[in-house]
Amino acid sequence: MKRLFTIAAAEWRCWQRSRLAVGAAALLAALLLATTVLTTLRLQAEAAERAHHQHQAEAAFRAQPDRHPHRMVHYGHYVFRAPAPLALFDPGLDAVTGQSLFLEGHRQNTALFAGTAASADLGAFSSLSPAWVYQVLAPLLLVLLGHGALLREREAGTLAPLLAQGLGGGTLLAGKALALVAVVGVLLLPLAGAAGLAVVQGESPVAGASLVLLYGAYLLLWAALALAASALWRRRGAVLAALASLWIVLTLVLPALAVSATAAGGGGAGKIETDLAMLTELRRLGDGHNANDPAFAQLRAKLLAQHGVQRVEDLPLNLRGVVAEYSERKLTATLNAWAQRQQAGEQRLATRLAAHGWVTPVLALAGASRAVAGTDLHHHHRFLQEAEALRYAFVQGLNRVHAQQLAYADDIRRSSDPEAERRTRVAASTWQLLDRFRFVPDAAPARVARAAPQGLMLLPWLAGLLLVLAVLGRRLQP
Amino acid sequence: MSAPMSPPMTHGTRDTRGPAAWAALRREARFVARERAVWAWWAVVLLLATLAVAGGLHEVAQQRATIARLTEADRADRAAAQQPLKDWGSAAYHSFHFTHEPPSDLAFAALGRRDDTAWKHRIRLLALEGQIHERDAAHPVLALTGRFDFAFFAAFVLPLVLIVLLHGLRASERQAGRHDLLVATAGQTAALWRWRVGLRAAGVFGAAALPLAVGAALAGTAPATLAAALALLAAYVLGWAWLAAAVAAWQRPAELILAALLALWLLLAVLLPAAGRGLIDRAVPLPAGADILLTQREAVNDAWDLPKADTMAAFVERHPEWAPYAAVQRPFEWKWYYAFQQVGDQRAEALSRAYTEGRRTRERWAARVAWLAPPVLLERQLQRLARTDLEALLAYEARVRAFHAELRAFYYPRLFRALPFEPEQLEGLPRFGTPAAAP
Repeated sequence: MKRLFTIAAAEWRCWQRSRLAVGAAALLAALLLATTVLTTLRLQAEAAERAHHQHQAEAAFRAQPDRHPHRMVHYGHYVFRAPAPLALFDPGLDAVTGQSLFLEGHRQNTALFAGTAASADLGAFSSLSPAWVYQVLAPLLLVLLGHGALLREREAGTLAPLLAQGLGGGTLLAGKALALVAVVGVLLLPLAGAAGLAVVQGESPVAGASLVLLYGAYLLLWAALALAASALWRRRGAVLAALASLWIVLTLVLPALAVSATAAGGGGAGKIETDLAMLTELRRLGDGHNANDPAFAQLRAKLLAQHGVQRVEDLPLNLRGVVAEYSERKLTATLNAWAQRQQAGEQRLATRLAAHGWVTPVLALAGASRAVAGTDLHHHHRFLQEAEALRYAFVQGLNRVHAQQLAYADDIRRSSDPEAERRTRVAASTWQLLDRFRFVPDAAPARVARAAPQGLMLLPWLAGLLLVLAVLGRRLQP
Repeated sequence: MSAPMSPPMTHGTRDTRGPAAWAALRREARFVARERAVWAWWAVVLLLATLAVAGGLHEVAQQRATIARLTEADRADRAAAQQPLKDWGSAAYHSFHFTHEPPSDLAFAALGRRDDTAWKHRIRLLALEGQIHERDAAHPVLALTGRFDFAFFAAFVLPLVLIVLLHGLRASERQAGRHDLLVATAGQTAALWRWRVGLRAAGVFGAAALPLAVGAALAGTAPATLAAALALLAAYVLGWAWLAAAVAAWQRPAELILAALLALWLLLAVLLPAAGRGLIDRAVPLPAGADILLTQREAVNDAWDLPKADTMAAFVERHPEWAPYAAVQRPFEWKWYYAFQQVGDQRAEALSRAYTEGRRTRERWAARVAWLAPPVLLERQLQRLARTDLEALLAYEARVRAFHAELRAFYYPRLFRALPFEPEQLEGLPRFGTPAAAP
């Protein structure tokens, strides 16, 4: 054990003497620090802005004057998605999905105004986040530090004496590995800091710890790769070129190729296309604004029979309101069925992309990281679903008011008779029925469970590399 | 892959005697032909470029198919929606119109902003600000991870290949102990390295350009556009080859040179662009998108409670020609309804214009900053050629606005003059992408 530490300490001293190693480490540390601070500041500003907008929208809805309840159905309401605490580390999909949604009767709108849409366009890598620095740049540092671990001993001619003294190849390799594990530990400090900050802001420690664990596993994987290459080849140029090529392929080329392959598989019908298919179906449901629409004849006959009256005017309920409520229910069932289909399709595509994580660990890590942070597709969909639940609740609340508090006779004449129009206005206090909307990510265990399949994709890599290292250690020769 | 014909650094022949230069070139070509690592990298470049181009062609074909399907579905939907209608107001209310920006003949090489910005809408006569910000965007996870299109490959991956390929040219000779001998026997040292770098870089260029040219032939790209793209690519490869060769001349071990070049790539491809983006976004603030919608929405909804004359007065300011017809008698009239839709747009106009102008300003600054970061410059230039940049999509947005104005010009006379509803006139509705017909 003591020997392991001696070997590791020697490796650290060697790095400390290398200006290249120190410079690269300092650059990475500065980057991690800068991106963490900048992302945190940006997210805090955005969180405050969205909370402000949410508050404003709720206040505006509740402050509306007396009016016809159906007017409020069309007045609608806005909801805003507050960023998850861990978004300060991994903003994930928040950058490309809309963060605000307009809710109104008879429609499910799309989420609007994603952050990137209006940002200055400076290429594929210009939206730096701490997570991206870890995923793509941190491996470079490990390659730079790790590639020389055994090469150096070979080049200096110290490998033969070391082995001749009875130091096993496995022990030597383990000592070098220990040195790299320590590097990984230090590298994880900024992440631990960011996670701690999120915990202070209300995030669960479980999520923070899982994130540290995930990135730890990923970085160890790269350390093992570098070490294996260092033990495998004898020419420094070859080792470094091979590792650099591997980095290019694994972190830059393969994830993007996986996206192209997934997109080429098709299956992502857009919103307009889905809407058009749905409209064809909806046309059969009838227009909820028109109580005389033949589609509602049955409902009308049923209501008349139920209350034992002949004329719609004699019903204790306002037929228009009943029809509005009925048709909103039918319509929403259809809208939800199509929305579910759309979301299931998106989820399928995401799963298809995630499967490429077996080939390229960065894709697996990125997916798992978003899932833990609460910035993944699941949370985007949940935002849409919760917004829809709120929409349905206030629209139907208003429709019930429409059915119970307004006289049918007034209601049908309100477009032509100003007095009837005045009587169809309900008191402004009714608008208090609107619920508060605050989006909160899933509980940490659920998020971690959702991250598990992708997180576990790192394990075969790690296990395989450890096996390779064990074999290399046993066979190590000067 | 054919043998590289003309190395980009042709001025190397100027300061050498003709026959000697040819001999040097032939000798280097023989060396290169025997180097398996070089061939392997050329093959990798060829493969990646082919994958990028094939993926792009496939995506463009999918987008065209989508447009064709939507055009047909849109026509059928409009016909079905208009069938039971009895007046111009509800005809306008129920008639949506599909608008889109088709992919250009070079879009396969640079899909650009088409992945995260809307290039298709369905528009009707209601307030436009409530509709134009809709994004029928691509899959968010795919958009976030980013696609492997040719522009990404050329701008970000190709320099790395050149770096790996060229960083050790001198250091490896030095390490093998051949460096001084090589220099002594070569006659013209500068020319020797030039050929060595030039041949390798020319092979990389050829391997990348060939799939692009084939893709262009398949996509029917205009020759001038392809030539421009190839010229950009050649200049870019030349620039990075020169840079890699210059750093490689440094009398240091190969790994230091490699690390320095990777750091340079990092600076130009990631750090400068990220810093530039952060600074520009901070320096050029945009109105919150939500404010545009809130403003428009409030204006439209308030109109129901305001005296109708107020709304009509605001409307007539913009459309004095309808002043004689602006009186509203009944609690609901379609002309009043569409007038307050337009007034809603008018209220949000300042914010909306600030939003568009802000995006344009950010774009102008991004174009300037890109000159400091060649990878971004190449990616943006290719997107510009392919008309998939922000400029092209803003132009599309402007065309949607113009089309919406045409719709207004079609319906307003019919609504305000209370012309009788004649369904056959709906055939004369403006169509997106064709010149306006007289109302």
